[in-house]
Amino acid sequence: MSVINFDFRNQVIKHNASLSYCYQCSTCSGGCPVALLTNGEYNPRKIIEEAILGLQDKLIEVQDPNPWLCSTCQKCVELCPQKVELTEIFTLIKNKCFEEGKYPEAFHAQGQAVLENGIAIPYSKAVLSRREKLGLPIITTAPIEEIKTLLRQTNFEQNIIKREAE
Amino acid sequence: MSYDLFLGCVIPARLPFLEASSRKVFEKLGIKLNDVEGFSCCPDPTGIEQIDHTTWLALGARNLSLCRNNGGVISFCSGCVETLKGVNYFINKDLTTKKEINRYLQKVGKVYEGKTEVKHFAEILYENLENIKKNVEKPLEGFKVAVHYGCHYLRPSEIIEWDDPFEPITIDEIVKALGAESVEYDLKMECCGNPVEKSDRDLSLLMIDNKLKAIENAGANCVAVVCPACYQQYEFNQRELNKRNNTEYNLPIFYLSELVGLAFGFFPEEMGLNFHRIKPNELFESIHF
Amino acid sequence: MEKVSKSALVIGGGIAGIQAALDLADMGIHVDMVEKKPCIGGRMAQLDKTFPTNDCSICILAPKLSECYRHPNITLYSYSEVQKVEGSAGNFSAEILKRARYIKEEECINCGLCVEKCPMRVEDEFDRELRKRRAIYIYYLQGVPAIMTIDKEKCLWFTKNACRICEKTCEREAIDFEQEDQIIKLENIGSIIVATGYSLIEDIDKDVLKNYGYGKFRNVVSALEFERLECASGPQGGHIKRFSDGKTPKKIAFLQCIGSRSDRVEKYCSSICCMYTTKEAMIAYEHDNELESYVFYIDMRAGGKGFQSFLRRGAAEYNIKYIKSKIAQITVDEKENPIIIYEDLDNDKITQLKVDLVVLATCIVPPQGIDNLAEILGIELNDYNFIKTTPFIPVETSKNGVFTCGCVHEPMDIPRSVAEASGAAAKAAEIIRGG
Repeated sequence: MSVINFDFRNQVIKHNASLSYCYQCSTCSGGCPVALLTNGEYNPRKIIEEAILGLQDKLIEVQDPNPWLCSTCQKCVELCPQKVELTEIFTLIKNKCFEEGKYPEAFHAQGQAVLENGIAIPYSKAVLSRREKLGLPIITTAPIEEIKTLLRQTNFEQNIIKREAE
Repeated sequence: MSYDLFLGCVIPARLPFLEASSRKVFEKLGIKLNDVEGFSCCPDPTGIEQIDHTTWLALGARNLSLCRNNGGVISFCSGCVETLKGVNYFINKDLTTKKEINRYLQKVGKVYEGKTEVKHFAEILYENLENIKKNVEKPLEGFKVAVHYGCHYLRPSEIIEWDDPFEPITIDEIVKALGAESVEYDLKMECCGNPVEKSDRDLSLLMIDNKLKAIENAGANCVAVVCPACYQQYEFNQRELNKRNNTEYNLPIFYLSELVGLAFGFFPEEMGLNFHRIKPNELFESIHF
Repeated sequence: MEKVSKSALVIGGGIAGIQAALDLADMGIHVDMVEKKPCIGGRMAQLDKTFPTNDCSICILAPKLSECYRHPNITLYSYSEVQKVEGSAGNFSAEILKRARYIKEEECINCGLCVEKCPMRVEDEFDRELRKRRAIYIYYLQGVPAIMTIDKEKCLWFTKNACRICEKTCEREAIDFEQEDQIIKLENIGSIIVATGYSLIEDIDKDVLKNYGYGKFRNVVSALEFERLECASGPQGGHIKRFSDGKTPKKIAFLQCIGSRSDRVEKYCSSICCMYTTKEAMIAYEHDNELESYVFYIDMRAGGKGFQSFLRRGAAEYNIKYIKSKIAQITVDEKENPIIIYEDLDNDKITQLKVDLVVLATCIVPPQGIDNLAEILGIELNDYNFIKTTPFIPVETSKNGVFTCGCVHEPMDIPRSVAEASGAAAKAAEIIRGG
């Protein structure tokens, strides 16, 4: 049983009003490459439908359909006859999953890397010597303390640490 | 003409040879690229944005606040371009967002007004198409190229504002200007599958398998890409697919800059083509390049 | 009947314009009717059948065409356009450009000898370019006036100073290459009715249809093209065949809302497509009882007397399956069979359906040239570029004395167009008789 939660729906609409334009025509799901290959296990229309109904538990707790399967190819956004900003709405839902600590490990690892190094992929010794061989300039990346200060402002650091603790 | 250069993470820290060919091509075209100190991750629109949109905006805006060049900033990576264009889009669309992001930036002594122009390196190449044609010394005869645009080079069109989201022409035109053939194939506009690797590796492999199948069926002998994520997806997974499915994929994957460089007469080694996992030598021999 | 000194000008000779003209003429009011095409009849003449009765379209239209042509109170200017309108309600004057047909109208008896001999093949506009006609032609088989026209753009005499075979063939010496365009001045017009109908989205913007492969895949056709294919006098003689291999389709997918109800193209509902699609599928089934039809829709919008039961009959008796799903894209297999990918909303699964033919329910758009005509008449257009009217007086335009009816002010079906035509005629007569 899913619980209808209009507060949740209103939160989403407040963030992105285009949710309320959806008339459930299923152009998005018919055009989605992932929906096709997962035979509807991932289904953009259904996520939007659940958001319209405010099915918070389905979207955040159960995650059915699994929003992390979206390939962010943006076809649905281009195809939608009502110009619903689907991927922006999916991002909002995934952000809420993140706040709850319910998101795949690979995203967490990337978050940690950015938090620790300022960049997603640290420079290995092998790459640095390869860069030298190719005659490429030395890279000076972001001052890490500055990045950490910024990521504390947006609560990112706290959310990553919270997940680590779990 | 000059631009600030935003390198991002994947290219400089994992695929530096793509950076080498790109820099060389721009140098040859007389376009100056300024390196800027202190950039962070763009950050990844398929990763960090998905877990925290605000953080994505804040880090992206900080990066843009470091750019000084009047010509704006370019990147060799479609993901970085989408992020930086996206930051401009969201900041300029909504004053509240702009104020919020600048409140965070203020804490680290930065400010960003949303005015820096962002371009993809392939946009610049297309704008210099005539210049490219003039510099072709060794036309790419025999190259049957499957052009893979990738999603973030084109979409969302409201943010990217470049080329057609479903029937693009720019990269095909560049490839043709080099003397190569651009081969039409099914699924040309479909996603390579790289972003879903983070949540479902099998699905990600299925997506690239379908694309490779379509490309082989169409008779292409190589692929051109403009995004390091697509590059990795195509290059790194062929061997894995062969192992899993008994396929025999052996398709060289070129970065657009590498194809331009080859046509300009650069040696494969000076562009680091030897660092490719799938060596293009066999192809070169078969078409007497 | 008392003699009325003021006349009415009806612009557009489709079913709406014809009905308005006949009503006025029967009231004893003289009508000048101007039609851009060589023959009157409009869109209705292109249709095979009409819903919801599935009557033969030309069979119910033809008597009205000849009545209109022969009515003593109607002067018909076909192949003509309104160029200038001056004055105000009760006293307009107009200038009509009557284009030269290069045929002596009173001599031509539509025998067709000239057509047989004419060597030039030209895309047939009436048949949606699905077949060729000659450079000398009658606009369509049952067209009124039943006389020939020479297509100056294509005729060898006008383009290359050669041929004139039609002239030699015509036993009645009806060919006249010396004819010139004429300007005709009309005075004493009491009121004007605009009934210039509609265009279709594929006429103005083919890009909209590219996701559906229209123009690229041979087995994807528009609804009006399909209507011509079903028609016994159409390019395939009523035996529907695919363009790729000439096979009779056994599975047809009808895709609704092509260009309409979209924030990207036209925001309004085209209003007639749910019904005409069902009609087309029914007729196709009558041609071939093995046919399976699939209608992909957003919502079935069939609001009219008997319309819902029409759809139910389609499902029950004509093997039509209605599937709620708007189609994103079409691909084809190696045999050019269209493949439709859609979400089956009964089980939320993504399903693929291979069909033989796809028919696109392309939407009604304002007729080409409406901006120009609106400027000539001094009337306003609405946000969608249809003629602006108000809900309570749907036949009145923004200008006193100028009325409208039919699809030129919003998409509608034939019964409503005819009803509006009579309304517009009554309003027009009010000014002429009351003034």
